Amino acid sequence: MKQIIHLVVNKEAIEIGVEPWWTLLDVLRDQLELTGAKKGCDRGDCGACTVLLDGRPVVSCTTLAVQSNGHSITTIEGLLSGSQPHPLQQAFVDYGAVQCGFCTPGMVMSAVALLDENPHPTENEVRAAIQGNLCRCTGYSKIVEAILSLAKA
Amino acid sequence: MKKMTSVVGKRVPRVDALEKATGAAKYTADIHLPGMLFGKIKRSSYAHARIIHIDTSKAAQLPGVKAVLTWEDVPHTPHAGQPDPRASSLACDQYILAEKACFLGDGVAAVAAVSEDVAEDALDLITVDYEVLPAVFDAEQALQTGAPSIHGTDRNLVIPPVIIQSGDIELGFAEADFIFEGRYSTSRHVPAFMEPYVCVCRPEPGGKLTVWSSTQAPFMVRGSLSEVLGIPMNLIRVLSEHMGGGFGAKQDLYQLEYLTVLLAQRTARPVKMEYTRAETFVAGRSRHPVVVELKQGVKRDGTLTARQARFIANSGAYGSHGPGITWVGSQMLSSLHKCPNVQIEGLCVYTNAPIAGAFRGYGAPQAYFALETQMDEISEALGLDPIELRLRNQFQPGDIGPTGLPFESNQLAECLKRGAQLIGWQKRHPAGSTKEVLKRGIGVATELHAATAYPDTMEVASAVVVMNEDGTAQLRTGAADLGTGAKTVLAQIAAEELGLRYEDIRVIAGDTDIGPYDLGAYASRTTYIVGGAVLRAAAEVKKQVFARAAVKLAVSVEMLESDLGMVRVIDAPERVMSFRDVMKPVRGETPPIIMGHGIFAPPNDYSFAAQFVEVEVDTETGQTRLLQVVAVHDIGKAINPAGAEGQVEGGLHQGMGYALIEDMVVDPVTGKTLNANFVDYKLLTAQDMPEIKVDFIESGDSLGPFGAKGVAEDALCPTAPAVLNAIYNATGVRIKELPASAEKVLAAFQTREKEEISEPLLKGTFRDSNEIAN
Amino acid sequence: MHRFEYFAPETLPDAISLLHRYGSTARLIAGGTDLITALKERTEKPGYLINLAGISELCFIKYDHTYGLRIGAATTVREIEKSPLVQATFPVISSAASTLASIQIRNLATAAGNICRASPSADLPPALLALGASVRLAGLAGQRSVALVDFFTGPGKTVLQPDEILIEILVPPIKPCSGAIYIKHCPRRAMDLASIGIAAAITLEEGCCSEIGIAMGAVAPTPRRAHQAEAVLRSKPVTTGLIEQAAETAAFEASPISDVRASAAYRRQMVKVLVCRALQQAFELAQVKCL
Repeated sequence: MKQIIHLVVNKEAIEIGVEPWWTLLDVLRDQLELTGAKKGCDRGDCGACTVLLDGRPVVSCTTLAVQSNGHSITTIEGLLSGSQPHPLQQAFVDYGAVQCGFCTPGMVMSAVALLDENPHPTENEVRAAIQGNLCRCTGYSKIVEAILSLAKA
Repeated sequence: MKKMTSVVGKRVPRVDALEKATGAAKYTADIHLPGMLFGKIKRSSYAHARIIHIDTSKAAQLPGVKAVLTWEDVPHTPHAGQPDPRASSLACDQYILAEKACFLGDGVAAVAAVSEDVAEDALDLITVDYEVLPAVFDAEQALQTGAPSIHGTDRNLVIPPVIIQSGDIELGFAEADFIFEGRYSTSRHVPAFMEPYVCVCRPEPGGKLTVWSSTQAPFMVRGSLSEVLGIPMNLIRVLSEHMGGGFGAKQDLYQLEYLTVLLAQRTARPVKMEYTRAETFVAGRSRHPVVVELKQGVKRDGTLTARQARFIANSGAYGSHGPGITWVGSQMLSSLHKCPNVQIEGLCVYTNAPIAGAFRGYGAPQAYFALETQMDEISEALGLDPIELRLRNQFQPGDIGPTGLPFESNQLAECLKRGAQLIGWQKRHPAGSTKEVLKRGIGVATELHAATAYPDTMEVASAVVVMNEDGTAQLRTGAADLGTGAKTVLAQIAAEELGLRYEDIRVIAGDTDIGPYDLGAYASRTTYIVGGAVLRAAAEVKKQVFARAAVKLAVSVEMLESDLGMVRVIDAPERVMSFRDVMKPVRGETPPIIMGHGIFAPPNDYSFAAQFVEVEVDTETGQTRLLQVVAVHDIGKAINPAGAEGQVEGGLHQGMGYALIEDMVVDPVTGKTLNANFVDYKLLTAQDMPEIKVDFIESGDSLGPFGAKGVAEDALCPTAPAVLNAIYNATGVRIKELPASAEKVLAAFQTREKEEISEPLLKGTFRDSNEIAN
Repeated sequence: MHRFEYFAPETLPDAISLLHRYGSTARLIAGGTDLITALKERTEKPGYLINLAGISELCFIKYDHTYGLRIGAATTVREIEKSPLVQATFPVISSAASTLASIQIRNLATAAGNICRASPSADLPPALLALGASVRLAGLAGQRSVALVDFFTGPGKTVLQPDEILIEILVPPIKPCSGAIYIKHCPRRAMDLASIGIAAAITLEEGCCSEIGIAMGAVAPTPRRAHQAEAVLRSKPVTTGLIEQAAETAAFEASPISDVRASAAYRRQMVKVLVCRALQQAFELAQVKCL
């Protein structure tokens, strides 16, 4: 039996009918066509589905859409200003931090949350902030460099 | 080739980085099509069982289920998961849906339904009566007489034994002052790319099919679908624009793609089949666990005189790339370090474990784990620096390896020298000599790897470059970019050769309708071979562009050069014309139609590397902390330094995981995979990584474009032995079994503490390095 | 994914009455990170989910000198980790919270969930046990307190009655000259379940150990206190010899199993090593507090 929920997604108010067992990730990807958040494991163990829930990074595969009723969500698509990428997205490009790119949206969201809370993180703090985002391509080196490049600003 | 380059060698941003970083890039699972159905596979709960009866009637009647398939509904001919010529590296033993399950997780039925949830419900309604058969999971046991026969082959072998011989092995051992023997075994290492396996098929009018697949080789997918399902190739279009990693394990088909297509044909609707992470572990491909029995003879001064080895690879339930890997692993075992008398036997064995297949390194990581560990043992016993031992046994350019392939270029000595300096090699203590609970040590290992899939596959690649009327260009390649940055490197090569800016080239890749034909992205071949084809296509186009420019500039073509979008007259810098102006159509004339097709079929070439690792071992818990890694790679030329570094950094992550904590565990009684998830199959997190230094030796002396060779697989080939050699240096404990888990290291350390340490023998045979003193 | 109906009550009495109405076919959810995984695996198949996260009276962190630290059931693990109040009063709880899975999970998971799931390897129970924590339960019949040490009855099993909800965690007020530490033994720095988890809390009075708590996770069917090990040090001066003896005793009190993460033998060895280290560190922290 579908329930009507209200979300603010990337600053836009949305009213949508969802089954209680649909995860937030599935609703974002399948109902709202926001496919930036990825399904890497669907168990909360890899971080590829990370979005911001009221500004805090969460694994959207391990929370139900109904649990987000009344809350606000930011996805990777919400970081753009018009067609202008967010400085973090640009930094990922400039520093070679994107290889296959599958972990990238989740990684960027964790980094956005870090810099919102702590604009001048140390390298250890950056690594701690992305502890829940697995990457199999980069060894994290250039991802850390990209995030740190904004820490110095 | 030695001139300064404008685009090659620069850290240009990747062509697709921005669309990935903004979430705009569509991967296969992101594709939503009207009316799309969702496919799921029912999997065997036994490791070895014949299907007596399979009842799908209740599943078929469930509302929302649109098709159900069993082995009786699909073509029942065995296939190799790859068409020729690549099929020479694989075994032809797979069925779209088996009548006999050969591993726990083997697919026995497939459904398509209106949602994944309904499809899952349908799977629960399918009942299977199995005749459970005895199963075997260990390769050595599977070789024994009386072991359960999996595919009816002699001793459960996938292919006849691979034999590599050169010189006279008996003479070699007779000439030795010392003989070393050991047994080394490796784990079930999993590629663990972040994007699970997925395939989408949309049936089109007239029997055509559009297939989106997360694949490293779109032409291979097309070819195998055509061969197995009997569909003409010109009716199949395969697309793989973006993929979330492959590392080798997305270059052969097993069940997913055939079933997706068959379900789409059966229902006349688009079908998406996405594996769960658990299925990606269990029904994907892992690295062959290998046991290497290695015996080497060596002179007092460290010169190798003989090498004899058995390489026993556990192929799992089907052959997949087992043949190729057994060949390459055996070849690499014969080829790293010069040894005049060599005898290698490679055995590829079926078991009822999950399927082992191609994974970055392709047999070399296993071979080098054994060899580079034993070289470290030898250096320790002889009192030689491990670096010195490698230098005394290295090949020179022009030498022919035991497999008959020559070494064109070799900068291994330089890699070792530079790496030693960067890690601080001189601060090493004698093994296990420090007194603290936390003990530090440094280890080294070397490697070589081909930049092609020779000798199994006769290598070739092609590319097409097309000029637009406004002076921009398109590069069409059949190669896939699995995240390696291949498209970017190829664009750089084309731009450099043509004389365009990097931004003026647009790469169109991973579409079999646009092509041209390419074997696929694997074997570290893309930069070397496809890059070579791109170079030749761009050169073709440049000739035609210069012919047009020569007319417009009123000079002969020999007087022209081009760079960064401008065509110039040599020695007359003011006489210059942009590509835009050169190409601009002229009223009253036919428009310029300029394109070039390049083909490159080079010989093999090898890349080399030395990696150094510093660790700290907690001798009360056995845990190893990675402190520092230095990787120095001889790659000829780094077309995109950031991309090449990224490859090595990623390879190190996989290699360090292989060394310490990654192992897919299969229950030895039931054959069930016990850790098919990211909690218990552990990938190093950002907080677990050590400081990494990557350096390249760019001698530019390869036949590849701008002197480039391969790097992708080299990145992890020596890492595991380097880590374990560092553990030895720290603790005096020699681990010869991957992974070097905390439990293993602790147990070995405590055993060593109890054993007496004997004086070194100056002459004799060392059966097992535990006998060798420090 | 298993299918179910969902309720999001706004008050505690509503939640209790829903729980009573649907009985064993209902499951409580606050963060849900464990439960949702079980629903996907279809190892749990409840007909009804009752979400407690919307009950504002369950989201709080308070401290006073009479009751001590009080944490509401729906407080997230990340809130506990970052709370200045927790860090100032019982930093070991903040530290234990920080070891749980990942930041993304901690922003969803709740302390109550971690406790009620009753996994032998849960990260919060050892530190809470060592500190002598208790939990407050609310049901149809009213509310009751249970010492955490009596709360777990087996893997995944607690003393919760079918209509009861854990609403609060209480830690007794801090004492001077106290130090506590949680050591989580696992292969990686994040994302792992503990292979062995050890917490130690020491209070010193005139050079002697006046109060001590040693708790172990992942080495028994439930998180548990090592009472006999504690007895070795209680009321005695803290010496290296006694620390070692306590550690050896704790190793005897463990009853670990072998699984894909570690063997029983290794776990037992690590109990000794880690209890030793934990006691040493807790002692040093207590000494600092005495200055």
